[in-house]
Amino acid sequence: MPSATVNNHRPRELLSLLASADPEIKVRALREVKNQIIGNRTKKLSFLKIGAVPAVSGILADSVDNVIDSNCNNDNINNILVQSAAALGSFACGFDAGVHAVVDAGAFPNLFRLLGSSNEKVVDAGARALRMIYQSKLAPKYDFLQQKNMEFLISLLNSNNENVNGLGASIITHSCETSLEQKALFDAGILRKLNGLLEGGSLSQRDASLESLATIFKNNPEIISKFSGPEIGRPLSSVIDLAKDRYPRTRLLACMCLIVIRNTSPLFLQDIGIKTKLIHILLELLDDSGQVGDEAPFAFSSLIAQKEDLQELALEANAIDKLLHHLQKGSLHPRRYEGILLALADMCSKMESCRSKFLSLQVLNLVTDALTDDSADVRTAACICLKSVTRSIKNLSAGYFMDEVIVIPLVRLFLDPSTSVQVAALGAVSNIVVDFTTRKSIFVQCGGMKQLVQLAKSMESAVRSNALWALKNFVFLSDNRLKESVFSELTACLLASLICDPEPSVQEQALALVRNLIDGCINSIEFAFAEDGLILAAIGRQLQSASKAEIGIQGMYALCNVASGNEFHKEAVMHQLFPLMDDKNQSFMMKFLQSNDSQLRAATVWAILNLTCPLSPGASGRLEKLRNAGIFSQMKNMVNDPCVDVKLRVRTVLGQSMAFGNN
Amino acid sequence: MPVRVAEISAPSQVSGTISRHTSPPACTLLSVGQAFSGTQNVSSIQKEEAWRVNVRIQGCDLEHGYLCGTMEALNVPMADTPIVVTFWEGEIVDTKNYTFFTGKWDASPEDDKRHWTKFPSFLPLLSQVEIDGGKSLDLSNCPYIFMRWKEQYFVNVGTDCGLTIAGFYYVCFSCSDGSINGFYYDPNSSPFQKLELKSTNEGRSGFSFSSYELQ
Repeated sequence: MPSATVNNHRPRELLSLLASADPEIKVRALREVKNQIIGNRTKKLSFLKIGAVPAVSGILADSVDNVIDSNCNNDNINNILVQSAAALGSFACGFDAGVHAVVDAGAFPNLFRLLGSSNEKVVDAGARALRMIYQSKLAPKYDFLQQKNMEFLISLLNSNNENVNGLGASIITHSCETSLEQKALFDAGILRKLNGLLEGGSLSQRDASLESLATIFKNNPEIISKFSGPEIGRPLSSVIDLAKDRYPRTRLLACMCLIVIRNTSPLFLQDIGIKTKLIHILLELLDDSGQVGDEAPFAFSSLIAQKEDLQELALEANAIDKLLHHLQKGSLHPRRYEGILLALADMCSKMESCRSKFLSLQVLNLVTDALTDDSADVRTAACICLKSVTRSIKNLSAGYFMDEVIVIPLVRLFLDPSTSVQVAALGAVSNIVVDFTTRKSIFVQCGGMKQLVQLAKSMESAVRSNALWALKNFVFLSDNRLKESVFSELTACLLASLICDPEPSVQEQALALVRNLIDGCINSIEFAFAEDGLILAAIGRQLQSASKAEIGIQGMYALCNVASGNEFHKEAVMHQLFPLMDDKNQSFMMKFLQSNDSQLRAATVWAILNLTCPLSPGASGRLEKLRNAGIFSQMKNMVNDPCVDVKLRVRTVLGQSMAFGNN
Repeated sequence: MPVRVAEISAPSQVSGTISRHTSPPACTLLSVGQAFSGTQNVSSIQKEEAWRVNVRIQGCDLEHGYLCGTMEALNVPMADTPIVVTFWEGEIVDTKNYTFFTGKWDASPEDDKRHWTKFPSFLPLLSQVEIDGGKSLDLSNCPYIFMRWKEQYFVNVGTDCGLTIAGFYYVCFSCSDGSINGFYYDPNSSPFQKLELKSTNEGRSGFSFSSYELQ
């Protein structure tokens, strides 16, 4: 009965009321709990802390046996069932800790039992609660591969009750992951049922069906082609029609379903008309001020990511202007903010025309502002967006990005508590430091270079390798003064240990950094010899056990660069290639020359070319040693190497060797 | 002659074209960081003038047939300053992004042919180019890379320095020794100004390579 003080009980009071033996008091208490927690995360948390969920779950468990009692007309029991289910559903709604608590309390199977009730309200309450739980990733996985589970799912989809068949669709959306499960669902005739909901169902049924279909289609071209075949009517066109539905959420879900189809099976939806329509619909959905507008940019990204043809169409549709226009609005919900930044990143990821358009609007500040947002996801997205935009070599050449306004906030993110933000910031900085002007010193002045060296010592391998990546790009074509300052900060000892890091990606970047350090003026080669040749020895050691081609490539180019120096340098390289006096040991060079990777073969041949450069006094001695190691016979086999670059270098080396009068 | 067929497997393809790997081969001597040095000269009935030129490759995007870099000209006659640096962008003739026909910059197909045929290495390709601009040529084993380089702006001087960047270069690069030959085309300048560059080792006894990688 309504009361003026209906929502005034404190949580602990309600908890004791829940334990009352009087069913009416129990029901009222349940209703009040539900009313207090609806849409109120703080309240949910406080009730959670005092054990409200097990209490409510216990009430449900006590009453649920009555569900299958065919004489269950007892209003009290039904009210208890309805209210306890509703409360549990509310706890779970949009609140992962709530889902966790509900599942832990053992309420899950009992909620399913409510679906067998003859009382429509009880069935509704159970189905609604379960749907809310299934919106969360923490919901228990439904095993479709068990026969009885599949039968139960089919019975749900066959139900006339909207909440119940909606639950069936939610379960599919939540739990269908593998192609085996997708096939099982297809074989059980689920697609036909979902298509029925699509064509003849209510708004909520259509939406639920769109989501489930997308889940079943994902990465499964076979099922898509069966769905689009003649036996099931023309369901693809139903989905296309729904993309123009009057309800925004339906339009979004239909677009997402079409995008899944297109990304999985490029045969479909190739027509420029449909591609353009999808772009326009998604851009227009950005105008929605609710959750649909928040999700629209993510759908847009999944449509255009990695696809230049779609990016071009989107550019023509003024996508960049529109996205920036929304960015300009300010006070964005974090999800929407993140989505728009990532959409811009995707737009600018591959095409210079898109980057030019973006930069021409002179609103880079909108992105740099996001670097200081409270949300880690937004900060990461802003870095990813900058990373895309700074792929513009033309603008890198002009030093456009080497500006304090951009660099300083990025460098600050090196100390961000979130690793993914750090890595994303490193990605953007890696591009920006490829600067051909004299403005690189800005990066040193703001402490960026020192920070990178610190990050190269991080416990996280992704941070180490990305920091080295940025340093590698930073020293590319730098003057010796800058290289000296990087080297003295890094130290030969640290660099040598990074070359031998446990992580291959770190090894690769460290070797590439050395390669760049020792290029340029001939004095730079001395970096490899610092501290008694620590670095050179590390390179040789790492090449002995290179676990992937990229490591071999960078290491061989580093040796190649050293070998472009004087006699001392060339001999030092020979010592790394043939460390033991016994020349019969197969050098890693032979392995590299026989590699499937043409770049690795090329790098190795370049090193040999430098070592046997005829103008050097010791060249004939080195030639002899290489010949004895079988290197020259191997190269004779490579005169028609399938890679033109390798073929030409091999011929040059062999031609060079003629100068010594040997064959 | 292969027929164009829509590629149906990889979704990331630019739609409508098949990846036939007919583009010129990647070459280590034409990669970022590589430097070239030589001369540009202009010869007319009255005189012959030459000046030193240094080129450095700054960017390379083979997928889009794009190259860029700087060109440094030393002691150019009529220039106000001893060193003039420009930034240029290149189009690689890869039959995918660009063909032998320029299609812009006031260069007609006749102009194109007239310039390309000045490179001996182009002659075997001429007949196909006359038919379709070379679109159906397979350049994957060709030891030469043909390009057009267009200077975009002056880096260290103003536009009133006495020099022009209105035209562009037809360029032939030799993959085997890294030498570059080019002819400048500008309807308003002396014709066939020649560019001759060689790969430099910058004082080293051998070749040295550094590289950057964009994320």
